[in-house]
Amino acid sequence: MRPVVVLLTLGMAFASAAKAQAPLSEPSIPPLPAPPLGSPAESGSAPPSVPDVAPAPPDLVVDLSLARVSITSAFQGETILLFGMFDPPGEIVVVVAGPPARETVLRKERFLGLWLNTGRQAFDDVPAYYAIAASQPLQRLLARGAGGEILSLEDRMSTARSVGERGSDDLTRFRLGLIEVKRRQGLYPAAIGQVTVQANRLFRADLPFPSRLPEGIYDVRTYLLRDGQIVAAVSRPLPVSKVGFSAQLAGWSSREGELYGLGAIVMALLVGWLGGAMMRRV
Amino acid sequence: MEIYLPIAEQSINVFLLLGLGSVAGLLAGMFGVGGGFLATPLLIFVGIPPTVAVASQANQVIANSVSSLQVQWRRGNVDLRMGLVLLLGGIVGSSAGVSLFTYLKRIGQIDFVIAVLYVVMLSAIGGLMTVESLRTYLRRRRHPEAPRGKLHQHYLVHRLPLKLRFYKSKLYISALLPIGLGFVIGILSAILGVGGGFVLVPAMIYLLGMPTSVVIGTSNFQVLFVAANVTFLQAATNGTVDLLLALLLILGGVLGAPVGARLAARMPGVLLRGLMAVLILGVAAELLVELLRTPASQYSLGIREVLP
Repeated sequence: MRPVVVLLTLGMAFASAAKAQAPLSEPSIPPLPAPPLGSPAESGSAPPSVPDVAPAPPDLVVDLSLARVSITSAFQGETILLFGMFDPPGEIVVVVAGPPARETVLRKERFLGLWLNTGRQAFDDVPAYYAIAASQPLQRLLARGAGGEILSLEDRMSTARSVGERGSDDLTRFRLGLIEVKRRQGLYPAAIGQVTVQANRLFRADLPFPSRLPEGIYDVRTYLLRDGQIVAAVSRPLPVSKVGFSAQLAGWSSREGELYGLGAIVMALLVGWLGGAMMRRV
Repeated sequence: MEIYLPIAEQSINVFLLLGLGSVAGLLAGMFGVGGGFLATPLLIFVGIPPTVAVASQANQVIANSVSSLQVQWRRGNVDLRMGLVLLLGGIVGSSAGVSLFTYLKRIGQIDFVIAVLYVVMLSAIGGLMTVESLRTYLRRRRHPEAPRGKLHQHYLVHRLPLKLRFYKSKLYISALLPIGLGFVIGILSAILGVGGGFVLVPAMIYLLGMPTSVVIGTSNFQVLFVAANVTFLQAATNGTVDLLLALLLILGGVLGAPVGARLAARMPGVLLRGLMAVLILGVAAELLVELLRTPASQYSLGIREVLP
């Protein structure tokens, strides 16, 4: 009886400790943690991830220059700095994935001389954003062993499930079309980003985000590789959301469309009336 | 100075939008029409999604017509009865138009339909205006004193049932015609984000035979309520009305309208209409080229759905 109780207490203590540091540092490949909204990470930059319970220092410590991407009225895209420290030797790979969603790809074809959308294909589980940065060319890092869960964009996209029936050749074309559009929007950066390593244990990488950025919780995963094997991984949720005036307007529009419509009418009536009256005086 | 538009979900230059609004306002002041038929294609050219451009432009039309109605109402230039009959068709038409818009958006054809409708409409109106102003110009040159020709003849209007007396317009015609006209304008308004004044005004003069003095005011009256209906329905069903975008367009319009009115007072009417015709044909040509030219990419994305 007694050992069971001890085990339980220990287990609970461990669980709560793990929860407290979940987004910062974990010794092995973690399952996607539920993003702790309203965690201390929100206020500017998070405290350095010095574990308070773990006996041994972690192999990998990661932080971001901003805890969230805020889409304000002045938003024009943002570059976030990812930085951290690792136990050498090893190489660093960073994978940033936006929230998955169903995307519909439309294909234009010439019809009676006019270009119009004739084909459409939906894909499930398409990440809104996908970028990879690495301290060495990715192929070289992954070739030596199983990269495991580190997927190149092409590999990641091949896991996106197609909706409905379609021949595989045509499906591939739609898949490539999807990547092409996302590239154009800056949501799937074509080049592998550079992770710069200093003093053999400090690293940094710039994560670029374009101005047309879908909202949601992005997952920033940093992997430490040795001999092609993942030895440590850290996952940081990065919330992307509209804030301030633009958030209020967008939220209002999607929650209470009717009221928003009435508001828009009143705004136009007021500004039109006053503006007209004023300009006629001038 | 860039500003992020929360519904269009992109950042764009503030002065570009103000400038666009003032061009629309300038046209409104010069020709007494809304200018939406030029502003919407221009918004699409600068990269605003067509669905957002159309819905936000409808919002701008409200401001435009209330400002103009203010004056017309005070001068007694509104045939309220005719306005209400037109509005009856207008409300039904615009509601049907928004449903059609929603359907076209879902099947991914809305951009194409907007472009095609604009090409057809703008080239028809631009063509008619060119012919008309050339003819007037030539006639004036030959006979400088010649009076204007008779404006309208009545055929159809007198045969249809449901005749109503419109005292202010001095007409006794079937109500079906203005209702039908209002319906068509309502659909155009919903799909293209225009007030429809540039179709409504000539139709009221040539088709219904209304006296020109009450045409602008009555058209403003109908356009105001139809645009309000479109704005409301677009916001409620599609969520595509961008308040910030509309506000910037309206502010630009407020600045542009009086300048346009002053310019119009100084220029001869024929030249004015000729210029407008050229402008309209130019936009139509640009839209047509976009439809015909091989696109840079065959692919585009439809609506992104976040699954629960």
